[in-house]
Amino acid sequence: MTSLDILLIIVRVAFGAFVPLCFVAVCVWMERRGAAFFQDRSGPNRANIMGFRAGGLIQNLADAVKLFFKEDIIPGHIKHKFYFVLAPMIVCVTALVSFAVVPFADTLVLGDREYVMQAIPMDIGILWFLAIAGFAVYGIILAGWSSHNKYGVLGGLRSAAQVISYEIPMGLAIISLLVVYGTVNLSEMAQFQGQLLFGFIPMWGVLLQPLGVIIFIIAAFAEANRTPFDLAEGESEIVAGYHVEYSGMKFTIFFMGEYVAMFTSSAIIVTLYFGGYQIPWFNTATLLKFAVPVALLVMAAVPVIGKFVAAWIRKNNVSHYDRENDPRVREANVYIKIVWGLVILVEAIFFLYLVFASGGAADHILVALLQVCTFLAKTTFMCFVYVWVRWTLPRFRYDQLQKLGWNILLPLSLLNIFVTSAIVVALS
Amino acid sequence: MFADGLFILFTVFAVVGAAGLVLFKHPMNGAMSFVVTLIALAGLYALLNAKLIFAIQLIVYAGAIMSLIIFIIMFLNIQEEDLPAEEGRFKYLIGGVIVVAPVGMLLTKAVNSLPGSEATIAGAGFGGVKEVGVKLFTEWLLPFEIVSILLLVSLVGAVVLAGKRGTNK
Repeated sequence: MTSLDILLIIVRVAFGAFVPLCFVAVCVWMERRGAAFFQDRSGPNRANIMGFRAGGLIQNLADAVKLFFKEDIIPGHIKHKFYFVLAPMIVCVTALVSFAVVPFADTLVLGDREYVMQAIPMDIGILWFLAIAGFAVYGIILAGWSSHNKYGVLGGLRSAAQVISYEIPMGLAIISLLVVYGTVNLSEMAQFQGQLLFGFIPMWGVLLQPLGVIIFIIAAFAEANRTPFDLAEGESEIVAGYHVEYSGMKFTIFFMGEYVAMFTSSAIIVTLYFGGYQIPWFNTATLLKFAVPVALLVMAAVPVIGKFVAAWIRKNNVSHYDRENDPRVREANVYIKIVWGLVILVEAIFFLYLVFASGGAADHILVALLQVCTFLAKTTFMCFVYVWVRWTLPRFRYDQLQKLGWNILLPLSLLNIFVTSAIVVALS
Repeated sequence: MFADGLFILFTVFAVVGAAGLVLFKHPMNGAMSFVVTLIALAGLYALLNAKLIFAIQLIVYAGAIMSLIIFIIMFLNIQEEDLPAEEGRFKYLIGGVIVVAPVGMLLTKAVNSLPGSEATIAGAGFGGVKEVGVKLFTEWLLPFEIVSILLLVSLVGAVVLAGKRGTNK
């Protein structure tokens, strides 16, 4: 192993481990601001450090500090303390580990070596996701059962029954997808989606499997226990469901696990149906061929985007009433300076690339970085869809939820398999 | 060697988990220690480069079947006082060991006297999804179909039994 190999292993594992954790902060922030937006209010905008509020992100820090310093109680009536402590860890770790097989850039070619850009370069792809996602049920069951509380047990029962029944339509939707792609490897699936249909439409899963994508997204929402499927923590009926007895850090881990699961399933949805890291019409070969024009285009676009962002900050980051020496304007000045600093940094990097390094290995790294950005942008949007749905739709009733799973999604996904296989056989 | 260390780790976990399944009194403890055994077995399959079997072991046994069993244990909500008193279980255990010991000795002898065959390194695609699939659907098609019909029969049987109880009420 050369030092480059070791460096790339560290980079990939670090990406797989830290990006989901960073996205917990982004998702919580997006949830709060999104909820506020849908309900026509401002959302968190008071917590600050020296007057800097970072658009509400500081609120996350305040919440984290609050949760850290809360007393971590294990109620006296709990007999199986080991399972009580183990349950939140299972929920969080399974969500984190299932992200490990998601490719965040095309296979990186440096010299004569190829590096699969996944945290674990494994070719069983989607099977790994299904296996690890199945383990998350243990966390919920153990939490509900070991809480030894009727609300906890009811929440655990509901949630486990829901996850187990929605795993079936999800698996069947994946089967019809496998028929189309002809592989279980997520990297190969993403490469497949870089092709063009009839020469001008990107061959994304969402176009090839319009029914499958609906089934998969509904099942993924149910698996992540998000509204409209969050019966497990229906506050009006069973208080907080399976985490009613949890407090302090153990509740935090549950909470983080929920958001990591949301990020991971967004990443899987993006990889399976929305082209993964592929930029539409620009697959890896095209990007490599036109690396210099693409770099010039990005160099031209970045200042324009920077200008719009700066104008947006200037317009919105002000007090809504007259104030002497408005501290928010001062805050906005600093933000705008940071934005322009970032623009200059990006321009400098691209300039150095064009002058010294264009052609050769730097092209591959540039393309990989562009693809990582594309992947993260798509995944962020998918996370926003989660927030969007949560604050738009009301909760299902429990019997409606099970009926939807077994009476509608299951037959539809079976039908989807038959139709897909018929078309694939007819075309081949 | 790294692989040897992993092998020892997985075998120890598999045996300890299986022992726990028998020795723990509470069904939840037994089920959870059996999950450890199943995951350790999946690890052993992965060491043998059987990637598909590794994934299926995790999805079907460790994931689906055991989570259903644990779900049922939770549903019944068994408490310590509901469990039957097991008196003299160690007497039975020792008796069982004495009965099984000759079989164990025979097995050890058989394993030790296996003809030493040359170990060859399997090809690059060994144990992958495609290789197993091709083998399954060319050489083992009939047994595969028979097993699927068996599963279908049990599925229909379960539905029929469940439906019967519903109409009687």
